[in-house]
Amino acid sequence: MFIGKIVKSDSHINYVCQINGPRDFEVEPGPADYAFGRFVRAALRSGQGEDPHTPDLGLGNGQRPTTYAVGVIYDTILQNPAFGSLGPRLSNEAQVELFSPDYIAEKAVLTYIMVLGIMEVRPSSDERLTVLSAMHGVPLLSLELGSDIETMTDEEVREFHFFSDPDGIENKAPYLHMGYLPHIITQRNSLLPMVTLRIIDQLERLFPHNLPLLSIVKRNFAWRLKVETTG
Amino acid sequence: MLDQTHTALSAPQPYRRPVGITKGPGETTHEYTFVSRDDEQVLKNGEYVYYELADPDLAGVNGRAAPVRRVLGRILKRIPLQLYPDTFLGEPEIPPGDVAAMVGYNTRTNELFELHVAIMGYYDAPTGSFINPWIPPQSCKQIYLADNQMLAEILSRKQDKESGSATIGSLLTRAPQAVPIVLSVKDMVSTHLAIIASTGAGKSYLASVIIEELMQPHNKACVLIIDPHGEYGTLDQIANAPQFSEPGEGHTGYRAQIKVYKPEEVKVRISTLNMGDMRALLPEMTEKQQYLLSRALRKVNETKRGTTWGVADLKLAIKAVSRQKNDEDSDGADDSSTVHALTWRVEQRFEHSFTFDETQHLDLPEIFKPGQCTVLQLNEIDERDQQVIVATLLRRLNLARMNTERGKVHSGEAYLPYPVFVLLEEAHHFAPSGTEVVSTAILKQVLAEGRKFGIGVALISQRPGKLDADVLSQCQTQCIMRIVNEIDQKSVAAAIEGVGRDLLDNLPALSKGQVIVAGAGVNTPVICRVRQRYTKHGGESKDAPDMWRKYFSADTQESRRRSEAPLNGNRGFNLMR
Repeated sequence: MFIGKIVKSDSHINYVCQINGPRDFEVEPGPADYAFGRFVRAALRSGQGEDPHTPDLGLGNGQRPTTYAVGVIYDTILQNPAFGSLGPRLSNEAQVELFSPDYIAEKAVLTYIMVLGIMEVRPSSDERLTVLSAMHGVPLLSLELGSDIETMTDEEVREFHFFSDPDGIENKAPYLHMGYLPHIITQRNSLLPMVTLRIIDQLERLFPHNLPLLSIVKRNFAWRLKVETTG
Repeated sequence: MLDQTHTALSAPQPYRRPVGITKGPGETTHEYTFVSRDDEQVLKNGEYVYYELADPDLAGVNGRAAPVRRVLGRILKRIPLQLYPDTFLGEPEIPPGDVAAMVGYNTRTNELFELHVAIMGYYDAPTGSFINPWIPPQSCKQIYLADNQMLAEILSRKQDKESGSATIGSLLTRAPQAVPIVLSVKDMVSTHLAIIASTGAGKSYLASVIIEELMQPHNKACVLIIDPHGEYGTLDQIANAPQFSEPGEGHTGYRAQIKVYKPEEVKVRISTLNMGDMRALLPEMTEKQQYLLSRALRKVNETKRGTTWGVADLKLAIKAVSRQKNDEDSDGADDSSTVHALTWRVEQRFEHSFTFDETQHLDLPEIFKPGQCTVLQLNEIDERDQQVIVATLLRRLNLARMNTERGKVHSGEAYLPYPVFVLLEEAHHFAPSGTEVVSTAILKQVLAEGRKFGIGVALISQRPGKLDADVLSQCQTQCIMRIVNEIDQKSVAAAIEGVGRDLLDNLPALSKGQVIVAGAGVNTPVICRVRQRYTKHGGESKDAPDMWRKYFSADTQESRRRSEAPLNGNRGFNLMR
């Protein structure tokens, strides 16, 4: 489900997404769709500009693998330019909506997204995505302004976290990865540790077999966040 | 030592791989540190590593690089540099490596160690010693693990099976038999040996290994074992084992001889006893008794002039001396009670003793022969008598060797024209610390002068703390096995300068059959694994539970029932009548 568009970035991995308003899409996203700690993805426009012979958005394009940047929502801001103008208006709310709809559009929900990695997917026939490969860490390419942000299904989140190491590394069996943890920790944002706990909660649900493994990281974070900061 | 790669270009060298890179100087002047991943787990504590140092004395020839020296060092400790955080270790079923892999660290080698190395120096073959370069290695020098061949050449003075060598085992940190540890028999015998260990650590086993080496054809040694516990009886298998013989034509062949003297065969001739021995054998004599006895001894020695005398002669001499004294003393003090008490004591001590004999004693040329190992079993003999036996024997031996060396005797009982090696078990009985016993003085003399006259002594003790420190420090080759007692550890450290503190710290950690060898017999202190004996070991502990169980076995019970059955003199039968 599309929930919004990239409108700004603070860094190579920190993006601001404006959540679609009532008139932007058929389905308006509800607060649950852009909840704190939700995994989202945005397509990276890779390679298309380099090869002029590639048929652009033509037939069969759906079968080509697409690379998505995967991120997590870690902050939400309700933007309201009208805040502070407490004086009387010539027209009331209903009239404003009727006479100057652009005025309404200035109210927006902004979410902050941190990019955690990328995944390469191929759309399957039944509208599901098959994850071909995943990589955790900083992607080489940045997202573009106006890129569509979509929520990810549990299955996609699962596949983004569960893969085998690329060739050349001895361990071939797929296993649970959270390779983005180190770079989340190095970011300076007070909400990021909390989002990490949120991510672990989701992964615990998705990977019941890896509970002991996750509990190590979770306990470690929880201790540092909750006990050490309070004590 | 010259690097073979520069001297012998024709011989292909095995590929050497550096194991680490130097980091910097260590805690003390003669230490350095290096960093290694040590994937193969070869850098154990006590392992030998080296770096190469250009030899400034030898310039390069024909444009080739100057030869290099290999500066050897011993690893003292190993400090991990990268450890998993404690929290990663929170789930016993989850290896911390999996947690690290999950967060993106998926290289399997995470271990990195800082190794502290004590610089020993480069080996100087002509002097057979290690020369300290007096400078720590530059940082970023490659460190190599010393190969087996190199260690075999430089740790020991002699090579395996060479004449004058005693291979007691192999280097502990390497595979068994990879690097033989070979004692130099010449140095060991001339400057004495000490074997120190707690009970059960294998000291008599090691001693037996050394004896086996000495009795092999490449040594053909002359050995005496003083065995207060009768543990060395099994060495008589040497006489039949093939390792101890050498084929030859006619009489030139060699076969090691073992002679075991049972306690009742160990005799001391009374006429070889001196006043000190008498004092030890007849303790708590009064001043008067001592005076009389010493005069009597002098008199009997004067009258007999080197021939043997017995208890009767001594008693006569006591009486004669006392009469003479009474004549000299005008005031007429009566010594009759003293004389009576003294003769009674002498009689009681010597008349029924099987150790002290009027004529028989151990014949020196018979017990000391090259190619022969003599075992004097002193079990069942009173400790005081043991001390006197050792004291008289050492005194006679010392005199015989001294007179032979000085050319005073040329034949007979006191002629010993070859060096001897005496192994003294339970040495703390014969030279205890704190008190002076009858054997202390002669033992000290032999240890101090033995080098001149060719008497080598090996002291074996399980209580170095109870052994006289002077005596211990005279032994220049030391074999130290596991010692748990702290007092004993301290006394070893105090008495033995040759072994570094770092090696002695390993003492409680040594297992049975592992020994620190240091001193004159080897080039540098080493930790060694004692080799297997060729002959069976005799000094084993009793298996008490097994013996108790046997007590209740069917056969034993039956035979015991028979032997304990009361003899009722057929009374039951009588009743029937």
